[in-house]
Amino acid sequence: MIKVEDVSFKYPGQGEDPALDRVSLRIDKGEFIAIIGHNGSGKSTLAKHLNALLMPNSGRVLVQGLDTRDPMLVWQIRQTVGMVFQNPDNQLVATVVEEDVAFGPENLAIPPKEIRQRVEEALDAVRMVEFKHRPPHLLSGGQKQRVAIAGILAMRPAYLVMDESTAMLDPAGRKEVLETIIRLNREHGLTVVHITHFMDEAAAAHRVLVMERGQIVLEGSPRHVFTQVDTLRQLGLDVPQMTDLAASLAKSGLPITRDILTVDEMVTNLSQMATRSNTPASPGGGIKSGYATVLTGSKLQRGTQSPAEAKTQLKSIELERVTYIYKKGTPYQAEALSDVSVEIRQGEFIAIIGATGSGKSTLVQHFNGLLKPTSGRVYLQGIDASAKGVSLQELRKRVGLLFQYPEHQLFEETVWRDISFGPRNMGITEPELAKRVRRSMELVGLDPEALWNRSPFSLSGGQMRRVALAGVLAMEPEALILDEPTAGLDPRGREDVLGLILSLHRKLGITVVLVSHSMEDVARLADRILVMHKGRLVMDGTPKEIFAQGEKLQEFGLDVPLVTTLMHKLKQRGIPVSTEVFTVEEARVSILQAIRGKAND
Amino acid sequence: MIENITIGQYVPGASIIHRMEARTKILAILFYMITLFLINNLVGLGLAFLFTAVIILLSELPVKYLLRGLRPLLIILVFTLVLNLLFTPGEVLAQAGPLKITKEGIWRAFLMTSRLVLLVLGTSILTLTTSPISLTDGIERLLSPGKKLGIPSHELAMMMSIALRFIPTLIEETMKIMKAQMARGADFESGNVFQRAKNMVPILVPLFVGAFRRADDLAMAMEARCYRGGDNRTKMKEVRVGLIDYLALLGTVLFFGATIATRYINTMI
Repeated sequence: MIKVEDVSFKYPGQGEDPALDRVSLRIDKGEFIAIIGHNGSGKSTLAKHLNALLMPNSGRVLVQGLDTRDPMLVWQIRQTVGMVFQNPDNQLVATVVEEDVAFGPENLAIPPKEIRQRVEEALDAVRMVEFKHRPPHLLSGGQKQRVAIAGILAMRPAYLVMDESTAMLDPAGRKEVLETIIRLNREHGLTVVHITHFMDEAAAAHRVLVMERGQIVLEGSPRHVFTQVDTLRQLGLDVPQMTDLAASLAKSGLPITRDILTVDEMVTNLSQMATRSNTPASPGGGIKSGYATVLTGSKLQRGTQSPAEAKTQLKSIELERVTYIYKKGTPYQAEALSDVSVEIRQGEFIAIIGATGSGKSTLVQHFNGLLKPTSGRVYLQGIDASAKGVSLQELRKRVGLLFQYPEHQLFEETVWRDISFGPRNMGITEPELAKRVRRSMELVGLDPEALWNRSPFSLSGGQMRRVALAGVLAMEPEALILDEPTAGLDPRGREDVLGLILSLHRKLGITVVLVSHSMEDVARLADRILVMHKGRLVMDGTPKEIFAQGEKLQEFGLDVPLVTTLMHKLKQRGIPVSTEVFTVEEARVSILQAIRGKAND
Repeated sequence: MIENITIGQYVPGASIIHRMEARTKILAILFYMITLFLINNLVGLGLAFLFTAVIILLSELPVKYLLRGLRPLLIILVFTLVLNLLFTPGEVLAQAGPLKITKEGIWRAFLMTSRLVLLVLGTSILTLTTSPISLTDGIERLLSPGKKLGIPSHELAMMMSIALRFIPTLIEETMKIMKAQMARGADFESGNVFQRAKNMVPILVPLFVGAFRRADDLAMAMEARCYRGGDNRTKMKEVRVGLIDYLALLGTVLFFGATIATRYINTMI
């Protein structure tokens, strides 16, 4: 048992607000606890108190009766409470997987024979035995995190603390890691404390704690916590989509229980209701729900205009039979793109989806001439980018590209200088320069007066990302390519960034190409979706067309949005809902119509 | 390009040389290097080529792959050859203007170039047959007697191994930052040396900031895994000094002795 008793903690030199404010908590053996809360709410600080990486300023933490403030007990405590961190690249020490797993036991001076045995067991528990001789840098993110978990297991801890360990992973990696910790909890009796930004992960826990301003403000079973939709929203958090849907259906007067967490629970509930309902809807009544029938103020959704109207016939980016081969002429040669032809018109909002390694990143790097095709042609604004004598720099000005974690490219002393880097490279001088910097700061929601002279490195992660975005916008590109712009952000940060992109698209009419792993985001934002698989462009169509082919998507390692899955299952049960539905709001409308039998109003 | 850097390029295998302890190989290579510089006659040189050939055979490494390792050194080799050939004083065999080729020059050029080739081959065999981790372990163990003298053998080995672990990660990051800045209109390909150096700032600053962040994270992760320096620590891989190791050392010492012997035989003739 871990007991946190009235713990307060303040980082030295960081203002008046304590990071932890009189927190008390009890973690029993065998529990699976999820801690949620937006960035800066104190989650990680609390986690680091559990294994004596931080010590309380007041109050105390007892790990199986051992006080973390006692310097003699530190190593015993850290052995009991293992911790896996956020960045998969920054916690593996050795150049070979098995050596890394052995690192902990070696530090504990375990005899070599036993270490070997522990390493085997630990790798087996996370299903990574076959990778034991691999160097870590050749593993996927999810695999690296599983190795990190194995490294902790080899120390035979009683508790495993996951400090946002899924934040930087793709959906496949997240699933892998979540399944691993659930299994360790159920089968090995390991107590798990999982800190996460993803509500569907928190829903798998026995108990959910919600943190805000260094305090635990809400606590209980996932059902109990997630039914408080409004409270969570106020705290800048999400709720699982099905709980959200249940709440909004209940608000619309449907007699539905609010504590629904999964698709299957929702299906059961609704089909019972449909059979009770005395006005069964006419069978086969396909409802054309259309987009954005009802829009709630806060939620992002594509505009009411149809995709066809948004497009002009002007071609922004055109790829003609592009093939790209990595490391040509070496033993590592690999075809990253094969025979891709695509046309992107001015003013479109395009999303690119595909499993990790499907060629998405390689594809978008052709969109602004960062990569040159091995064969085939690329036209940017009608200019052949592969022709001799074409200035690629000139073309890059027109197509802005923001990589993943763009805040890692900031380098200047002040925000102002960093944002002006792009335009300065284009030869733009004062007073135009100042105008552009100011304008782009305003566009991304940064206050120019307050921030222009600050060092970008003194800002919060979310603000740094905005600075990076402003740096690209200051070049006034005609098209903007974003490679997973929401990676690693908390729910509020994700909504903010997506809202920003959507408003840029609407206000400036800028062409947007969004690379994303979130089917929900893609479905509600994009006019058109491109699906990549093994270097090929395998599907190209509107969200409706793409997500109608769920089985095909699964072949490519992708899914349909959760609500779409729900709608398909409801339809199978004979409830006449539309399956062309991707958002909670659309689902609410369609379900209400189906259940109340107003299908053909 | 930058991603083609091959540091500690290890070729897994099960040959006698692969199975030797890293310490043995490091000691042997030191002996081998000293021996190469003691050679002063044709018999000794022949002996060295023979010895190296035997080791290459025993290592079961593809010879072509091994020789490819010489390619980056081609310029230095040619340079050594030409310089020695043309600028060694002695009995003149041929002359063209200020340039003359001497009898001594031919011998020196041949000897020096051979030494370099053998040196590179020998050290490549070491790195190709020893995984980086055993190599750092070997260095740590060899230096450990020096601990009392204040040589931080464990820390040095740990630093080397962490460096090896992060080289691929940092190379990848460098490429990414470079592309990100190119997307912002940065130009790394034109300008003179100074301009180019200045243009590297947008790459170097984020790279260093990132490296420090990684170092912080890694230190925290290591602490969480109970790392507290080299004292009172065990190793998963036990080292067994076997018969092969003794034989290898014996062989190297014999090679060393024989080479010294050739120096005397030569003067006797």
